[in-house]
Amino acid sequence: MSKKKTRVKLNLTRRDFMLIAATAAGSAVTAQFVTTGPLSPFSDLKISQVTGEQTEEHPTGEHHWGMVIDLERCIGCEYCLRACSAVNDVAPDKPWNIVVEDRTETGRKFFFSRPCLHCQHAPCVEVCPVQATYVREDGLVVMDYDRCIGCRYCEVACPYDARKFNWEERDEDNEFIPTWGVPEVERRPRGVVEKCTFCIHRIDAGLRQGLTPGEDRNATPACVNVCPVGARTFGDLKDENSDVSRLIAANPTLRLREELGTNSSVYYIPPEEGILP
Amino acid sequence: MTTLTAIRNRFSISPGFLAWLAFLAICIVIGLISAYEVLTKGLVVTDMSDQVPWGLWITIDLSSIALGAGAFTLSAIVYLFRLKRFERIARLAILVGLIGYTSALLALVMDIGRPDRFWHPWVYWNVHSVLWEITWCITLYLGVLMVEFAPVIAELPFFDRWPIVRRIAHQTHKAAPALALFGLLISLLHQSSLGATYGIIKARPIWFKPSMPIMFIISAVAVGPAVTMGAAFIIEWVTGKKNMPHDVLRAIARFSGLGLLAYTYIKFWDLAAVTYYGSTPGSSTGFSILNQFTPYGFGFWVGEILIGIVIPVLLFLVPRFNRNPLNLVAGSFLAAIGVLFNRWNVTVSGLIVPLNYSPGVEYQLDPGTYAPTLVEWGVALGVLGYALILFTLAIRFLPIFQGRQSTEVH
Repeated sequence: MSKKKTRVKLNLTRRDFMLIAATAAGSAVTAQFVTTGPLSPFSDLKISQVTGEQTEEHPTGEHHWGMVIDLERCIGCEYCLRACSAVNDVAPDKPWNIVVEDRTETGRKFFFSRPCLHCQHAPCVEVCPVQATYVREDGLVVMDYDRCIGCRYCEVACPYDARKFNWEERDEDNEFIPTWGVPEVERRPRGVVEKCTFCIHRIDAGLRQGLTPGEDRNATPACVNVCPVGARTFGDLKDENSDVSRLIAANPTLRLREELGTNSSVYYIPPEEGILP
Repeated sequence: MTTLTAIRNRFSISPGFLAWLAFLAICIVIGLISAYEVLTKGLVVTDMSDQVPWGLWITIDLSSIALGAGAFTLSAIVYLFRLKRFERIARLAILVGLIGYTSALLALVMDIGRPDRFWHPWVYWNVHSVLWEITWCITLYLGVLMVEFAPVIAELPFFDRWPIVRRIAHQTHKAAPALALFGLLISLLHQSSLGATYGIIKARPIWFKPSMPIMFIISAVAVGPAVTMGAAFIIEWVTGKKNMPHDVLRAIARFSGLGLLAYTYIKFWDLAAVTYYGSTPGSSTGFSILNQFTPYGFGFWVGEILIGIVIPVLLFLVPRFNRNPLNLVAGSFLAAIGVLFNRWNVTVSGLIVPLNYSPGVEYQLDPGTYAPTLVEWGVALGVLGYALILFTLAIRFLPIFQGRQSTEVH
């Protein structure tokens, strides 16, 4: 052993040293190039996604679509669930949008509904091995059904149970069609995960026609339009004058499991008796 | 060549061997029928649901990767730490690793909803995903195992006709230390990340802890080599030929015993921190739900601790016990069962505990339920049959112990 050690010492000439230094410098430069350069496979990843840091409240794009749900107003009629299931052709027994009964700590009944919360720091997006789900520049968490491999890790990671998997090819009739609406998107194929999209097809088509999502019905999610008591409001969280921003400014609000740092885009106005901590 | 002929002559097709092959064939046929069922009807034929989206197959997947960990551990011992007396077991360890990893991939392909898109992680990258990293590491490591195993295949008499193939395959042997180093690095990475898969899920309190990856890697390093050691003894009993000196196998058993003790240490502190010293409402509710609705406590104390740790440690480390090969084989079998129990407990239990995200105090999802269906067991049987038939045929036809490596390694 000691013999070997000596040999190493003797062999480390100036030339070797230069070679090692050059290799180290070269690796450092290459690493820099590969991780942040224009050819880097990582370049389309947001810095916040890689570092896990939360740099800002809003996404980078022009808009940040969000929703305010008033728990005091909700009457638990489930219209949102039905309209959603009809428009997006969701299986009625596996709704994207749930409505349940709940109680405040003082025992008062209220109704709680939950779409996908479109987290800006979404656990489902972080774990997807193929980037089949991602946060868009306007804050929407979307699915690429053509890329999803059906591993269901996003379902496991979502703190809000907002994701559903297509366990079989669906050929059943949807009981909510046409009473509650007609399908505006295709049924998802067997073997992929699906979730609430905030009716992304309406938002995108509406913006192309110069409509304002949240104000013009054709550009607004079905659940918001159908609500008979106006418990749901949709709009641009980045626009200070939007209905959602005004509601958030004027009311106490909470977001679900805020301590997880998911930074979701759905704000709840608690019932009057309060469930705020 | 005389050695190879000798190997072939030593085996004769006995009725017992035929019966064994027939048994394995039945397992594989059942597996194929079940796989057909899954591929045509979809995962609806399983008992997995949106609340418990992972089950038996993921357990098999995790366990077979952990049990294949003998390959990287023993390769590192032989080629990096230069402990020459273990050299003769390296090929067997690599064979067990190959079988473990390919079994895992089989189970995984059945488990994903779109098997036709299994290649997506290689093309569409999400570097932030541990599952992406695991897919890459497992594939790369499977490549390493194949290169490491190539010389064994090349020694088949079939390749007498193409000496060039044999020469190329044997050239790779010179790269053994480099392959062992690369294999060690990516194995340490993905064996741990498999635990991190659960450990990073902040929404689920009984998973969310940094000890997960550590417990996974230590249990794999401890039990993987023991499985290889057990396999060596079984081969000896079946072929009637003493391939490995028993003191080497006993040394591996002692290594595994010590590894299991290290695992126990981490597990003890994990348990103490999570349930006693640093109990949170989330984790204590989770465990009480598990104990109420599932035999979690039994699975943990009997399956993981008694069967998986205490008995194997005694059999591997107490001199009176570890001199008897039967005890060592029993120990490695029980340790492997313990790993299965652990991976099941981690995967299924974490999912049975319901998520709690409502702002109120009343609404609560019901605890998840999961009991594998016949089809799931059928696929599991098929994977087992695949693993055992590969093992049997490799022992029957390949020079696992009689290689030329000992003459060429220097």
